[in-house]
Amino acid sequence: MAGLLQGEAMLPEQIAGLLGLSGTVGAAVGAFIGAFIVGNVMLAQTGVAGPWAKRKITAGFTDRIAVNRIGPFGLFIIVADAIRLLSKELIVPEGADRPSYDLAPLILPASAMLGFAVIPMGNLGPFNIQLADPEAGLALVFAFASIASVSLVMGGYASNNKYSLMGGLRAVAQNIAYEIPLIVTAMSVVVFAGSLQMGEIVAAQTGTLVSVAGVSIPSWFAFVNPFAFVLFLVANMAEIGRNPFDIPEAPTEIVAGYQTEYSSVYFVLFYLGEFLHVFLGGAIMATIFLGGPAGPVLPGFVWFIIKIWAFFLFTQWCRSALPRVRIDQLIEIGWKGMLVLSFANLVLTAIIVGVIA
Amino acid sequence: MSVELPADADAVQTPEEIEAVLGDLVIGRDDHENAPGFIIKPDTVVDALDRLREQAGFDHLSCVTAQEYADRYESIYHLTSYGDRTKEVSIIVPTDKENPVSQSANEVFRTADWHEREAYDLVGIEYDEHPDLRRILLPETWQGHPLGQSYDQDRPQVVPLREHANPLKEDQQADEDDETMFLNIGPHHPATHGVLHIETVLDGEQVVDLEPDIGYLHRCEEQVCQNSTYRYQIMPYPDRWDYISAGLLNEWAYARTAEQLADIEVPEYAQVIRTMGAELCRMAAHFLALGTFALDIYGDFTALFMYSIRDREKVQNILEELTGQRLMFNYFRLGGVVWDLPEPREEFFEMTRDFLDELPTALEEYHDMMTSNEILQMRTVDTGVLPADVAKSYGATGPVARASGIDYDVRRDDPYGYYENLDWDVITEDGCDNFSRLLVRMREVEESAKIVEQCIDLLEDWPEDERNIQSNVPRTIKPDDDAEIYKAVEGAKGELGIYMRADGTEKPARFKIRSPCFSNLQTLPEMSNGEYVPDAIASLGSLDIVLGEVDR
Repeated sequence: MAGLLQGEAMLPEQIAGLLGLSGTVGAAVGAFIGAFIVGNVMLAQTGVAGPWAKRKITAGFTDRIAVNRIGPFGLFIIVADAIRLLSKELIVPEGADRPSYDLAPLILPASAMLGFAVIPMGNLGPFNIQLADPEAGLALVFAFASIASVSLVMGGYASNNKYSLMGGLRAVAQNIAYEIPLIVTAMSVVVFAGSLQMGEIVAAQTGTLVSVAGVSIPSWFAFVNPFAFVLFLVANMAEIGRNPFDIPEAPTEIVAGYQTEYSSVYFVLFYLGEFLHVFLGGAIMATIFLGGPAGPVLPGFVWFIIKIWAFFLFTQWCRSALPRVRIDQLIEIGWKGMLVLSFANLVLTAIIVGVIA
Repeated sequence: MSVELPADADAVQTPEEIEAVLGDLVIGRDDHENAPGFIIKPDTVVDALDRLREQAGFDHLSCVTAQEYADRYESIYHLTSYGDRTKEVSIIVPTDKENPVSQSANEVFRTADWHEREAYDLVGIEYDEHPDLRRILLPETWQGHPLGQSYDQDRPQVVPLREHANPLKEDQQADEDDETMFLNIGPHHPATHGVLHIETVLDGEQVVDLEPDIGYLHRCEEQVCQNSTYRYQIMPYPDRWDYISAGLLNEWAYARTAEQLADIEVPEYAQVIRTMGAELCRMAAHFLALGTFALDIYGDFTALFMYSIRDREKVQNILEELTGQRLMFNYFRLGGVVWDLPEPREEFFEMTRDFLDELPTALEEYHDMMTSNEILQMRTVDTGVLPADVAKSYGATGPVARASGIDYDVRRDDPYGYYENLDWDVITEDGCDNFSRLLVRMREVEESAKIVEQCIDLLEDWPEDERNIQSNVPRTIKPDDDAEIYKAVEGAKGELGIYMRADGTEKPARFKIRSPCFSNLQTLPEMSNGEYVPDAIASLGSLDIVLGEVDR
């Protein structure tokens, strides 16, 4: 029993072991249950974040109180909002391109959920919360995350609305401009860690960078290469389309961009998908720059959750404080600034690693 | 011709000199209470206005009033000068009843475009050579001209939605190789701050052409006033023009005009209270302008929006103490104000002082978060550029004009109230862009605070037995038959003028509102053409229009 629950094994194997299953059946059942658990944990977080935490955080930034009537700290607003949103009329505009209009809101959350499959979320008790650790894990998670733009274009195009179309086009322009700096910056981490495997990247950050007065600073890549961290943070904000880069949505300019025509359940799915992508962005940040689930005292999984919520808080802070840049300015920053800087970072990192190693 | 013309156009001052400039164009005189009036023929409008602008320095077409008499139609061009507001002249263009056609002034002053469309729409005068003479406030299918004399007021007109022009219809039949896209911004859109419809032609993200379509909030305010008595019934309505806390400023526009028309004195004490109240209103209005501009740039209900609402709320509380109302104040009366400061006075002074003391900190916060924010500067500097000469041609006033470097403020240039005796400055910026308009409003809040502070000091020391809040005004006011007047005050958005013609009864025969937003909104295409959609939205926000005042 103890052998089955060793840190090395992934969550599906552990579950299969607990159930006493093995072989193909064990792998399938374990994977299904594991994915079910991880998926629901993430969905539950977005459930808390969307209707409640986002309001509370924004209220905190703007000197207000926000939801406080239903339940303790207004928490039951989550239930109320869920009922409200799901019971609204689903309005499908005339001339909508049906299959893609319906598929777009499904693809957005699904792509983010897939991304969580390879994220090492640390230990919770005897369990190692990670579904899989393929060798090309980092490439895989970026691939999943960028499916999001397909959804935005589909939704924007299929809605048969000009604002939606503009939102969709903006989403593509933005994602192309930022995906390259994002991935190139992540490559500099790969050069350090020497692997694309998420587990290896986390393992490479367990050492101590420096010890100051007994407090040891871990060799998280955010501390090793703060420049890459900042670059990645900015590119990540653009990638997930949060302020000041919420250009595909841009309320006050193009109403709500690609999601203008979506209502009821479809809107919820889009909304959910956006939050999942914020959390996935936070998860990638945590994994490759903030030591993954590493942290003192508390279990690794808790630290991991804290880190992705810290990223969520950061996005909300930006939302309250920063003006939105214009689409042409964003493209300019992406292609002329970020791209050059990210390649410079990669080359420098490669040289330094080459000299040291 | 006996009058020697001064060499300098700005030196043309007296009616005789103006008449000399106009020369043989003048066919008669019909002086108004505020200015000499010259009657000209309907086909010499361009010539006359051009001469007045080039040779007499009348570079500001403040307003165009149209009205119908029993025997004729009349268009009145109220001209003044950006350099000298007290220099005024009215050009009266009578047209005959059967064929009311008059030459358009659009060639000389671009602002005449909308003003003449409104005259056509509501009164029925047609303007020759007008580039686009369509209805502006009423639906296109409307029958008759409501302010004309033959209009049947009792006949209900229902205009169903299907009778409105569908702007999409034409667009969908656009050429195959047409690179542009037609986009309706509004009437329901997060950035229009009301019901405004902007017909936009886009090339990708860039604005090729843009045209504001107004009238969704037209409530016949002019006619309402024409059906109300001078003494009591009109005063509540100005609050509803620019309803964004600028109520007292609007009330003052009516009070000033009516008081001059009916020769009513206002006690000094009441003038100080009026000045204080008006400046509080201006601050509240500018706070909201600031917040909504932030909303347009930031794209969310952000901290800045909430902060500006918070500060506006403090002003609202003070105004509520003063007037008993938070929005529709109805505080001014002809000859003064309705009641004195609230008792105990010390508490009111303390409350206002507290607000003024906290204001510098609040403004510091705005500057930290807004004007010194690099992204905001990136977004607003050199966007929505409105050069001074274009602004003048469109009759832009208020913060919009002052941000284009036009040093023009009715409070100083044509003094009223207690402004003359107070120490304050007119704020101008030379940037001509969205950023300058933001800066002007923020700095004007500081100036308003200075004025309020001085008023508070004055009111505090005012001897108790001299606190006269209203002069003796007869219960019924009947100005002389055919007395005409056009007077303006500095509203929150600019020059808010009112034209009134008396006909010997206790109600005005014609009541015309010159809305600053109406003129300012006309500049939007000039600012936005060739720019990106987000900049057009920012420019719209920087104009700070209130649709209630645009449509009246």
